[in-house]
Amino acid sequence: MEYIIISIGFALVLLGLYGIMYMRNLMRIIIAFTLFNTGINIVMVSIGYIRNASAPILDAIPAAGTTPNIVDPVPQALVLTAIVIGLGVTALMLTYVVKLHQDKKSLDINNFKDLKW
Amino acid sequence: MDYSLTKFLWTLLGLFIVTNWGLLMSSTMRRIGARVAGRYGIPWYQPWIDLAKLYSLRSQITHGTMFYIGPVFRLMGGVGMFLFMPMIFGSALWSNYSFSGDLILILYFQFFGMLGMALGAGEGGQPYSAIGISRGLSQFTTIEVPMTLAVISLAIQYQTFSISDIVAAQQGGFMNWTVMTNPFATIAAMLSLLGAFGHSPFNLVKAPNEIPIGPPTEYHGTFLGVLRTNGAILHVAEAALFMNLFFGGATSWFELIIKTFLIYFWSVFVGTVFPRFRIEQSVVWFLKWPTILGIIAIIIYL
Amino acid sequence: MVGPIYIIAIALGLAFAMGLFGKALKGITGALLMLGLAAMTFISGQWLWAFLTDSVTTTQIFTAGFKPPYSINLQMGMEEAILTFIINVAGLLGATYMYQTFSKKGEQLKMIFLVFIMSMNVTVMTRDMFNLFVFLEIESIALAGLVLMSNTGKAFQAGMKYLIATGIISGLLLLGIIFAYSFTGTLNIDDMIGAHLGTIKASSVAVFLILVAFILELKPFPANGWGLDVYTAAHPGIGALVSATVASAGVYVLYKVMPIAGQEWYYYVSLIGALTFVGSNLMGTRQNTPNRLLGYSSIGQVGLLMIILGLQDYLGDKTAFIAFGILISHYAAKAGLFWISGILKANDIKDWAALRKNPFLLFLFGTFLFALIGFPPFPSFFAKWELIMTLSTQGQLVWIAVILVGSFIEGIYLFRWLGYALKLDHSELPSLNITWNKMIPIWVMGMSLYVLGVYVTPMVEFGRYINYIPLLFILVMFALDFLPVYIKNTLSIGGVVWYMIDLWPRIEDDLMRQIFAVIFLGGAVITLAAGYSKKGTRKGFYPMALLMFAGLVGIIEASSMIDFFFSWELMTAGSYFLIIRGKRSMPHAYSYILFSIAGAYAILMGFGLAYGSNLDAGLTALGNISFLPTLAYSLLAVGFMTKTASLGLHIWLPGAHGEAESDVSPMVSAILLKAGVFGLMLLFLFIGTDNPNATKLLYVLGWVGALTTLVGNMSAAFQEDAKRLLAYSSIAQLGYVLFGLAIMTHMGWMASFTYTINHFMFKSILFLVIGGIVVKLGTHNMFEMGGMIKKMPFSFIAVLISIIVIGGIPPLSGFAGKWLFYNAIIEKGWYFQGAIIFFAGIIAFLYLYKLIHSVFLGQLKDNHRNMTEISWWILGPVYVLIIGIMIFSAFPQYVLQPIGEMLNPYFNTEIVSWEGTKAFTKLGYWDGTTIMIVVGTAFVLLLGWLISLSRKAQKVKQFNIVYAAERPFRPETTHVSYNIYAGYKKALGFLVAPGITNFWNTVSDMVLDIAGWLRRIYSGSIQNYTLHVIVFIVVFYLITIGGL
Repeated sequence: MEYIIISIGFALVLLGLYGIMYMRNLMRIIIAFTLFNTGINIVMVSIGYIRNASAPILDAIPAAGTTPNIVDPVPQALVLTAIVIGLGVTALMLTYVVKLHQDKKSLDINNFKDLKW
Repeated sequence: MDYSLTKFLWTLLGLFIVTNWGLLMSSTMRRIGARVAGRYGIPWYQPWIDLAKLYSLRSQITHGTMFYIGPVFRLMGGVGMFLFMPMIFGSALWSNYSFSGDLILILYFQFFGMLGMALGAGEGGQPYSAIGISRGLSQFTTIEVPMTLAVISLAIQYQTFSISDIVAAQQGGFMNWTVMTNPFATIAAMLSLLGAFGHSPFNLVKAPNEIPIGPPTEYHGTFLGVLRTNGAILHVAEAALFMNLFFGGATSWFELIIKTFLIYFWSVFVGTVFPRFRIEQSVVWFLKWPTILGIIAIIIYL
Repeated sequence: MVGPIYIIAIALGLAFAMGLFGKALKGITGALLMLGLAAMTFISGQWLWAFLTDSVTTTQIFTAGFKPPYSINLQMGMEEAILTFIINVAGLLGATYMYQTFSKKGEQLKMIFLVFIMSMNVTVMTRDMFNLFVFLEIESIALAGLVLMSNTGKAFQAGMKYLIATGIISGLLLLGIIFAYSFTGTLNIDDMIGAHLGTIKASSVAVFLILVAFILELKPFPANGWGLDVYTAAHPGIGALVSATVASAGVYVLYKVMPIAGQEWYYYVSLIGALTFVGSNLMGTRQNTPNRLLGYSSIGQVGLLMIILGLQDYLGDKTAFIAFGILISHYAAKAGLFWISGILKANDIKDWAALRKNPFLLFLFGTFLFALIGFPPFPSFFAKWELIMTLSTQGQLVWIAVILVGSFIEGIYLFRWLGYALKLDHSELPSLNITWNKMIPIWVMGMSLYVLGVYVTPMVEFGRYINYIPLLFILVMFALDFLPVYIKNTLSIGGVVWYMIDLWPRIEDDLMRQIFAVIFLGGAVITLAAGYSKKGTRKGFYPMALLMFAGLVGIIEASSMIDFFFSWELMTAGSYFLIIRGKRSMPHAYSYILFSIAGAYAILMGFGLAYGSNLDAGLTALGNISFLPTLAYSLLAVGFMTKTASLGLHIWLPGAHGEAESDVSPMVSAILLKAGVFGLMLLFLFIGTDNPNATKLLYVLGWVGALTTLVGNMSAAFQEDAKRLLAYSSIAQLGYVLFGLAIMTHMGWMASFTYTINHFMFKSILFLVIGGIVVKLGTHNMFEMGGMIKKMPFSFIAVLISIIVIGGIPPLSGFAGKWLFYNAIIEKGWYFQGAIIFFAGIIAFLYLYKLIHSVFLGQLKDNHRNMTEISWWILGPVYVLIIGIMIFSAFPQYVLQPIGEMLNPYFNTEIVSWEGTKAFTKLGYWDGTTIMIVVGTAFVLLLGWLISLSRKAQKVKQFNIVYAAERPFRPETTHVSYNIYAGYKKALGFLVAPGITNFWNTVSDMVLDIAGWLRRIYSGSIQNYTLHVIVFIVVFYLITIGGL
């Protein structure tokens, strides 16, 4: 099970990279970028996963010397933060797209190669 | 180091002898040249007549101070070469002031007169002078190459730069002369001598019918007289240098006269046979066989 | 003490306040921003002070009341204190600089700016991996927000590229972090370090991802197109911070996480650093846009820092000093340069000529460039010194070579830029409108470079002996630059004389140093005295001339290698500024400085090998090089030969000396070149005779010297420009000196000393006189002169005496050199080299005659009929030198005998022995005094005779000449000068065909072509840049883990 999830995660990462490199439309690139981010998040979550463990929400303080059978909470916390940051980045990207579109009335990435060498 | 009056007077006497011998030698050579060309030639005393006339000319012009001093430099060059040269081997009085310096001094003192002459002629503003000088300097650079190689070869051979010592080493029969013991250096130097004397084929410096006698064009009267006097001294002094270096030196004035005559005759002989080179030809000529011979002269000592 | 957590608190608090109550706070947000940044600066500053005074130790700050791994912890140590301090200072200064921009663009920007600065503080301090990630992201977002500030299409594109690229990189970082976490169960960096992830095959992927992400954050070549675009398009105020602070923080972060990977990985960091340092600088050579060029340079500097970080095992406890030295110089210089760029708003570095409208800015610009290259007295100089020395003790020669090559390539574009700023025409450019708030930050950065440089000086071995008093004097002269020439000249001469008096007791029993002290400082007085003939203020001349002389005299005084190198670089810098003062000197000064820094690096590497052999930085270490001695000697010799302009390294000289100002030419020709001679003498004395490691080298140098004389003299003969003729003559004269030194016998050295002393005197005379004439007649071309003997008789006599000396004609002192050479050559057995030397000596007559004839003799031109003698301010010093020549000629024993005695202990070869005035060798003899007497007497007698014969000679007019079948038309057509040696050129001119110049041109074209070809990878498309990043990752993977 976890292998399927982690594979899906990596597949999304690759798909995202593919999209970033081969899409022409800026919006599609951004979507590809979010796919990339999502893939990474999935990988993160799946790495913290432990078979047959429950969610890391504890009803009571576990008895001394025992370890509660929960999945590792840290990756999940990290993913939450990463999602928030990803949101921020995506939002900023969209702002840029608006600005770029205002500038050249185009969303084609090939029109934005003014800076080179 | 002898600065006495006696020494001075003897040296003056030597200078007198050399000057007159030089004048006689030049008239003799001109006669020989004329005979080869089928002419009769000048009388042997012609140079003295010329000198007398030049020194007594009353109208004289000058283009400026350097023009005026130029001939003095030139004469100083010839006289200096004489002064620093031991003329007669084994004679303290006829060794002049050679205690001031060795062979190197003489080699470099040649330039003293050349430079002064060039400067004097330059102030004259005459284009022919400048052209002649530029040719002379150009040619001289490569004339000196075989000469330098020969001198180095001699220095290796004798381990000295002292002319007296070089002559001393050649005493005891002509088999000891450098011409026999170090023939390559001798030939290289003798070829270089052709250029130094400036006869045909290396006479484009003065090139009489092209840039009327070149550097001295503007000089006349006393100035020309001084230059002629210098020519006489210089020719003997240079021949004496070669005599000392390659042909055993001289133990008497008679020997000196014979040897310098023959050495000088060598250049006249070649001059009457070969036509004039152009500057780029003569410059390169000295870098060919003479230089190769000079290199061989050194290689045999390596 | 205020805790570092308050840095974050203040920034966040203010940012939130502005965000929430922006409207209400409208009037005071600017002040709040400044106050906040000042408070942040203060906090980090007080920590820094505490660390510097050793009153605290490294402190951990825990958040949320837990210890790691259950909480995030910050660390404040010496390194963090320095970094946060410089980040906050840059923030404060940057905000000052952008004050107006911020007020115009609204509250949000100020907020973002605070967050931006704060995020960097945290990335430096945090010890938690995930926290690091978060604040890196905040930093990127804030930066992207700030890029938006410049409302241009290009900025939008750059920001977009930046976001996408950093997004991908941070994705990788996240993966790396989570893998690392899954192997170690912690997010704390220190705990991760303890887990030794890099050594285990399985976990090395985590290490790989973390490392590659942080490396990519530093924009390594070639996966850095997106970074360059940000530098290019962002507001220069932002560019300054990206370059100064983001790069600094990024480097520190890499430093912090590298131990996670372990030492096996360090090598790869260095490798990437090297690629980045060389590659980025190489492409910079083709760049003309100022901000982008600064971007290339920034990335290059970061590459250098990566090399240093990767080599920290070799550098040991010097790592911090070296890294911070480079980092601080880069930080201050780049910030300053970006800020200047913001003032100029130029799109082409050629337009930086506008800097000359504000001399202060120009001064600061120069300061920054020299700090970047690593000139003294900036921290980067000492850092680079320590870097090379330490690497050398570890035998890391390849790394030394890489670093020096990269630095040299950086010099290529930086000095081209400086040249443009100093020389290009700026009359068309708009004048600068500078507000004080833009000027102050630049001043602070510039001044701190000097202060820090002096501050770190004692930290290097022997550094405390470096004498800063001359530099202080120069600083005073800078301050007095507005005064007229005669005051400054008097002050300068006074300073030099005072220093001479001060110096003399220290070198009392060292004749060699005394001789050079006289050449350098006596020469300084003489050439400066000629400066009285100049009018106006001559802005910038005196500080630079004194800088050169200070460097020269420093070389004499140096007792340690660092002192020597320090002075050497000062001299190079001073002479560069002197040379570039000439009207058409830009390209020549450029090639001069390039040859000089290349030479300096060769010297540096040579010193490194010496240091590596002995672990001793004293100059005496040169005498005992056991580690690759032949290479060391060769490098040092080549380094010194760039100054003596020996064949192959000479192409800079003719232009540099020929085009320099009239009194600068003698300074750089007669005096400066002797620095190379001094260096060579020092080196050869340390090498010693019969050193088996140097025999071949000396033999080669002998040939080089001989051929240099030949080529130099022959080239001189074909010049039409009087000053270039003299310049080529200098090349040849220095060739003689090199040849004599390479002979390594008593006699050869005597000859070299004679040539050195003579060349100093006659070349000063010639350059002063000819320089004066050139200025007076307004032309360099000799064929346009002529007949000056009538107008300038005293100049003529001076030149005449000089050329007699050069020609080696008895009775003057030049003959001594020739005579000694003949003796030396026969003794040594270098017959053919010797023959070339003498051949060259005769060729000298060609140019000597051309010079004196074309200028003084021949036909006077109509437009020169009213000329008068050149200034007595020039002739005065000249005649002092002539007296010197005369004394040296008549009484050579007074100088040469002591030199001989000095040389005796060093050489066991034939010596020159003296009997009164007469010198003897085994081969011959020479009596300067007697020759003088004989020649003098005879000359006077003959002159008297001629005068008595022709006292009535009548002076005639110029054209009154015996001109067969023609008549003189005009002076121009009658004056024989142009191409006077045409026949000679036809016969032997091929010897001086410009083969060497062509060679160097081809080399430089090739470098530029490669750069032009390489930089095409920066196509401008983010998709390509993404591909670069991915390829970079894959290749890095294949090399590190894939076992490629």
